[in-house]
Amino acid sequence: MLEHQLIQSTGFRNFGPAGARQGFAVRIRIPNYHGTRLSQLDGFDVTLDGEHFDHEVNRFGIRDEVYTMAQMREETVARWGLLEWGEILVDKPGGLLPGVHKVEVLARIRYSYFPPDVHIFPMRAERFATICIA
Amino acid sequence: MASAFKYGVSTYSYVDDYGSIMTLEDAFDHISDTGATGIEILGEGQIEGYPEPSSAWLDNWFSLLNRYNLEPTNMCSWVDMRLTLSHNLTVEEGTAELERDLRLAHKLGFKFLRPKFGVTSFDLIPETNWEAYVERNLDLAHKLDVIMCPEIHAPTPIKHQVVDGYINFIERTGTKNFGLMVDTGIFQDRPLTHWGSHQINEEARKHMEFLNGIAVNPEEFLDIAKYVVFIQAKFHDIDDNLHDLNIPWKPVISAIKRSGYSGYLSSEYEGLRAPWRAIDQVRRQHVLLRQLEREYDEGKFA
Repeated sequence: MLEHQLIQSTGFRNFGPAGARQGFAVRIRIPNYHGTRLSQLDGFDVTLDGEHFDHEVNRFGIRDEVYTMAQMREETVARWGLLEWGEILVDKPGGLLPGVHKVEVLARIRYSYFPPDVHIFPMRAERFATICIA
Repeated sequence: MASAFKYGVSTYSYVDDYGSIMTLEDAFDHISDTGATGIEILGEGQIEGYPEPSSAWLDNWFSLLNRYNLEPTNMCSWVDMRLTLSHNLTVEEGTAELERDLRLAHKLGFKFLRPKFGVTSFDLIPETNWEAYVERNLDLAHKLDVIMCPEIHAPTPIKHQVVDGYINFIERTGTKNFGLMVDTGIFQDRPLTHWGSHQINEEARKHMEFLNGIAVNPEEFLDIAKYVVFIQAKFHDIDDNLHDLNIPWKPVISAIKRSGYSGYLSSEYEGLRAPWRAIDQVRRQHVLLRQLEREYDEGKFA
């Protein structure tokens, strides 16, 4: 089961080899009320303890695939189901120290049925989340 | 005596609870326990593996319908006009998207399919291709006995070219497989404090003044009633005294009753997404709506 809020507790982790971490991952549930083609997502800005990581650079992982922003924008077949979690992969050499961090996510979702000026709709969430392993 | 309403619930009501504190079977349980007879779902939402659910999922779906004694009412779907940032759907592609969802809705036992078309303007004028998508699927919809019904949803009022366009299409084709769905959010006459799971900042609110309510006169329902095939009973907040803080239900129910409508009122809660709040809010709405229908039938208001 998922946690109620967008940003999940479980799955907040460092990735890459131990001792030479490449970055951190933020697990999220879909920022929408229904499943969605990946092309309908326009990336995720992450702010970690005040440091900004841009949606154009962050990658997205779902199931066993990882997508760059450019790949996700063209992915019209693969979908993100309502009950599946995905993760934002953020490059940060060395990773994060174990402990509590402030995590902010701005998910950019595309709704064809919203007016053109909010066609890419921002959904924000923030919380404190905990890194367990260096 | 006027026709009686049928009462249903949309699983949309439980967004954020769904998948976290609520499984599909929990949703059936909550809906059934309100006394409702119909379940409405989001196609690409509750159907795992959409658009091709497994046979195990399908077996479970029919088993739940049977166990909780609910009938499938409406399935919501989307025709995503802006397929990518650089490619809009062609007529052929949009027609195929709609056909896919029609077949799936039928397979699951639904009688109504609500397609959500892309829009091209601030007041939600649908993309011009919608008409071709629908017209090319009319024969199939007839064969499958499914009615396609786009919703009339704030900020689009009843007196608007969007509604006129849909009605003109019905008149021109003479079809029985396309109709209007009314979302009762159009009658909202007081501002919202929360809008579903979206956290609205000032910038977003500037683009969505309809969150303050577009206050359509309920009497206008009578003007379009003969085209209305389904009603989503949208609401946001019902207090401890069963007073709805945004929707003026008494004149709304009066107008719908006088129109002779005897279809579904399908609860669609779109208020604050605190865990477990939606479950009780839906129950409150069912008490409120049934009470008003009873009072209308007893002649306590006209």
